[in-house]
Amino acid sequence: MSAHFPEDVATASTLLAGDETVVIRAGGTDLQERWGGRLPLATGLVDLTRVHGLREIRTEAGGTRIGAMVTVAKVARELATTYPALSLAAAGLATPQIRGVATVGGNLLQHTRCPYARHRDLDCYKTGGQGCPAREGEHSTGVLFDTSACVHPHPSSLAMALLLFGATFTTTGSGEAQPVGDLYDDDPRREHRLEGGHILTEVRLPPPVGGETGGYVRAISRFEAEWPLAEAAARIVLRDGRISEARVAVGGVAPTPLLLEAVASALRGERLEEATIAAASARAVEGMAPLPGTAYKADLLIGCVADALRRAAGSPRHGRADSDS
Amino acid sequence: MGTQTTRTSGAHTDGQPEARLDVGVTVNGAPKAVSVRPAESAADALRERLDLTGTKVVCGGGVCGACTALVDGRPTATCLLPATALDGAEVTTIEGVGEPERHLVQRAFAAHDALQCGYCTPGFVVGAVAFVDRWREERGDIEPDRPTIADALAGHLCRCGTYEGIYRAVAAACRGDFDKAGPATGQRVEAEAKVTGAARYTTDVSLPGMLHGVIVRSRHGAGTVAELDLTHAMNAGAHDAIVLLDEDRTVRWVGQPLAAVVASDRHTAELAAEAVHPVVEPQSPVLDHTAAVRAGARAVYADRSARRRAPSSAEGMVIPAPWRGNLRGPNVLTWLGPVAAQRIGRADARDDPRLVRLDVETAVQMHTSFEPHACVADFSDPAHLRLWVSTQAAGSLVTEVAQRFGLRLEQVTVHAEHVGGGFGSKGSLTMETVAAVGLSRATRRPVKVVLDRREELTATGNRPGTRTSVALLADSGGDLAAVTIDTHGLGGVSVGSAVAALGALVYGRSPRRARDYDIVTNAPPGTPFRGPGGPPVLFALESAVDEMARRLGEDPISLRRRWDGNERRRRLYDRAASLPLWTERASTVAQGGRIRTGVGVAAANWFYFVDPDTRVSVSVRDGRLSVASATQDMGTGSRTVLANAVAQVFEVDPHEVQVRIGTTGSAPHGPTSAGSRTTTSLWAPAVEAAEQLKRSLAGQPVADSPDREFTATRAADRRRRPLPLTVAGIQAGRQFTGAVHVAEVEVDTVLGHTRVTRVWGGINVGKIHAPQPARSQAEGSIIQGVGFALYEEQRLDPHTGATLSSNLEDYRIPALGDTPEIDIHFDEQGWEHVPGGGVGLGEVATLGTAAAIGNAIRHATGRRPRHLPMTPARMIELLR
Repeated sequence: MSAHFPEDVATASTLLAGDETVVIRAGGTDLQERWGGRLPLATGLVDLTRVHGLREIRTEAGGTRIGAMVTVAKVARELATTYPALSLAAAGLATPQIRGVATVGGNLLQHTRCPYARHRDLDCYKTGGQGCPAREGEHSTGVLFDTSACVHPHPSSLAMALLLFGATFTTTGSGEAQPVGDLYDDDPRREHRLEGGHILTEVRLPPPVGGETGGYVRAISRFEAEWPLAEAAARIVLRDGRISEARVAVGGVAPTPLLLEAVASALRGERLEEATIAAASARAVEGMAPLPGTAYKADLLIGCVADALRRAAGSPRHGRADSDS
Repeated sequence: MGTQTTRTSGAHTDGQPEARLDVGVTVNGAPKAVSVRPAESAADALRERLDLTGTKVVCGGGVCGACTALVDGRPTATCLLPATALDGAEVTTIEGVGEPERHLVQRAFAAHDALQCGYCTPGFVVGAVAFVDRWREERGDIEPDRPTIADALAGHLCRCGTYEGIYRAVAAACRGDFDKAGPATGQRVEAEAKVTGAARYTTDVSLPGMLHGVIVRSRHGAGTVAELDLTHAMNAGAHDAIVLLDEDRTVRWVGQPLAAVVASDRHTAELAAEAVHPVVEPQSPVLDHTAAVRAGARAVYADRSARRRAPSSAEGMVIPAPWRGNLRGPNVLTWLGPVAAQRIGRADARDDPRLVRLDVETAVQMHTSFEPHACVADFSDPAHLRLWVSTQAAGSLVTEVAQRFGLRLEQVTVHAEHVGGGFGSKGSLTMETVAAVGLSRATRRPVKVVLDRREELTATGNRPGTRTSVALLADSGGDLAAVTIDTHGLGGVSVGSAVAALGALVYGRSPRRARDYDIVTNAPPGTPFRGPGGPPVLFALESAVDEMARRLGEDPISLRRRWDGNERRRRLYDRAASLPLWTERASTVAQGGRIRTGVGVAAANWFYFVDPDTRVSVSVRDGRLSVASATQDMGTGSRTVLANAVAQVFEVDPHEVQVRIGTTGSAPHGPTSAGSRTTTSLWAPAVEAAEQLKRSLAGQPVADSPDREFTATRAADRRRRPLPLTVAGIQAGRQFTGAVHVAEVEVDTVLGHTRVTRVWGGINVGKIHAPQPARSQAEGSIIQGVGFALYEEQRLDPHTGATLSSNLEDYRIPALGDTPEIDIHFDEQGWEHVPGGGVGLGEVATLGTAAAIGNAIRHATGRRPRHLPMTPARMIELLR
């Protein structure tokens, strides 16, 4: 067992050498909680804290590149005007203390928040066991789209927001940029599809679109600082009073973040009005397959999508005048 | 300093050398070098390697912010920050914030009493310092609004519920109210120690040669332990290990203590505990409450002798009751019970609209004290056992420990200088102390046992869930004609549910019958929790009364005023009825739209308890006034009460009075901090002893007096006590305390979200002896009620009985942003028969909150909530 603190990506990559028992640590907010301050036996560690060149956001003609070690807070702060929906999602997750440390790479590759999977004494697919005890057990925070043998939703709000932009990521592996959506699938045994021994180094966004607006909403029980029961992010571009481009993505409801093309297509070409929003957001639950304990999430999801669109349109969520539904 | 390479040293586990890394960090301006483990948290490094114990660890998951320090100027949750990330960083902890001068935020927190137990306070102060400094730099001396403050401090939680004080303090600090240099003082006499991180809690105690213990717990919900081999622990680095399992070798819940191991450090002790693999012959745990009482269900307690092992969830004695399998009870409290049942049965048969029947459920609520259960036991001298314990009951703990370990009372000393919350869960001898004493006895070295948050949210007791059926019948004149209440307490392996009985003590003199049952399962045990039984039964009863008001077409406050014989509460009703919050409420039917607003009311009463044997000594020591009693302050203000009592007699500033509590031995008998008894037990003897001292001084200045001391007991109440007996330091006095809560909610009918926007709390407990701490406690009571009503719910795996809600993400307590605007009114009359004129408020102030919120939801939505907490899932279901 060893711990390494390389200063460049190449060294980090060499240290990993395709070894899947070596764990990569970025900000550490997910790992440290799971470990409870103790490194699992026989686990090697490569800590990226000192690696140069992963903490910058660069906007160039071809788009924007976000280093894997850029903090969530920095995304929220610096991309507010260029990629508003992404910035809002970043600002809406966790707490100020966590956002200041947690990184983009770590957020995309974090492990499930399923209380079974994170419980020290319980086994499931995700922890190398067989079966999903939450399916027959307590799954009130589970998926609305039951498409995997594992019933807990994917936790990454950033991944969801990045889907809106067709963002890609690069690794120390192939060198090819791949869509962020390809990081995830319905395989219950894994948290993500990044190959073992490789490091996610960068997220790339296409150039910002002038005049676009964004909205982000999560449904939770308290005021803030809670994992979403359902969440939605929306991008809208208006031309001459009509929606020329729309994208809507949702989280907290499926084994992977979802881009909802059906909702977007119901928006394109329409005027951004309550009727349009209602019709489009109703399509958010098309194809849903709730668990016995998650049917309520259908209402929340429709509500989140509608609210994200309203926020993108600049109208308030609360207030009686415009909020009938 | 470089951490490029790995150095190996330190503990060995399974033959694996453990890596250590050198970290160079500037802490509070001074360069430090520490050697850390790769996965060690920055919080542990600060606390354990640099002895900066002002930084607290509560959740260990980056949720609560108690461990917040400034890392390169940024507020950071150090519990999730790898210690290695400190390399090259500038860190400011709470100890550095107030040096050389107190920060204005510290002065603001102390002056606005933005703290109770103080365990979350250092983190809050550090977070608020970062916010206030930045805000004023960017905006100037402008007061931020509440959502802005909530957003900035979203990463902080306070279980005592001091959020109103925190809002006031942060707003005032931003305005510039505290720019004048000076000490950080407030009415709470230990405020400065708490806002500077100087206050030492049991978790902060470290003795030379101290070892660390960890409890080995059952992973099975039911079964028999065939083998418990502790040699594996020894092979994994433990110095010693002891068995905690009962002689019956039966496991009844996941988390049940089986053994305890001790090692040179906590990390090694944890590994040693994990190396123990008890061989258990498992049984299928009984977890479903309906299945548990079906014929043929396996009995959690197989026979009469096994039943004697059932722990109690009740305060005081458990009243014997019949058992049928897993159903225990009923315990019946009745006055003309058969008449009540008959009247209700007949009304049911004729479909009487003046009969209200309601079935409701409440979830299991966890105490969630921020300081975990903790004990340092020093038995290195076999003739004397010294204990540091996070306890509500330092005095009675001496007796319990002496009995359990075969010692004389004078051989045991308990210290509890500062206690980071308890809420009922630290009222007796609990397992961390049993383990620490046992391990210290075995090793003859000091042993520290501190539970982690997972244990805290699993195994330290809870407010049991309930299922209650209530029936209320009004006669043709609208008077109360009959009440029946049946409650099934869902206390897991514990028994003694006393919920329904409390509901029979609230209204009028009509025939009534209350029956309490336990449904016993293989779930973790309950234990007393702030007003045991009160919040659940009032949710049932006050929902039913609200429904009755609707049936009778009467104002809900007016109906309660008519039915309620309690004179003290009548004054509260009158005041509540005149509040704009009440008179200007919208009508339910008029409301459409997405966001609905509602206002609800609920009443509550509670016992007046006192420890009549309390003694307080007041002395002159080295020319200073000093007051002592063997009690403790878990944030409820007992230090301040004692200081105020003496200061009032001598007409001096309470801060001039030295308060010596939190230690047994030299100090005279003091009360347990439970049952709302502490303040009223302490006040009168403190005043009496101070007056004796003053008389003896005969005008001589205190500073010139030689040392002298007077000890007084509490004078008897002016009227007789209903029960002339004291059980476990508690005696019921005459009269009930009273409270009326009026709550306003906003329900987002789309996202299922309920926000409590305003709460008025009217409280009658007589004279208030420490106004600011009393107000803070009353506000915190309401905030805990908000948690009970909307968020808090223990969740278990229905198959294994493992606790899933064992962290502060999955067990959700209210945060700043969830805090309503709170208005507290103390009615100080009606307790003239009590010495000092006032009694305790800690329980009555919380009981009716959830019921008022439930009634407000009914008013807002037209639907009656029947299952707390009202999460978004339940709200969506309710509105369907």
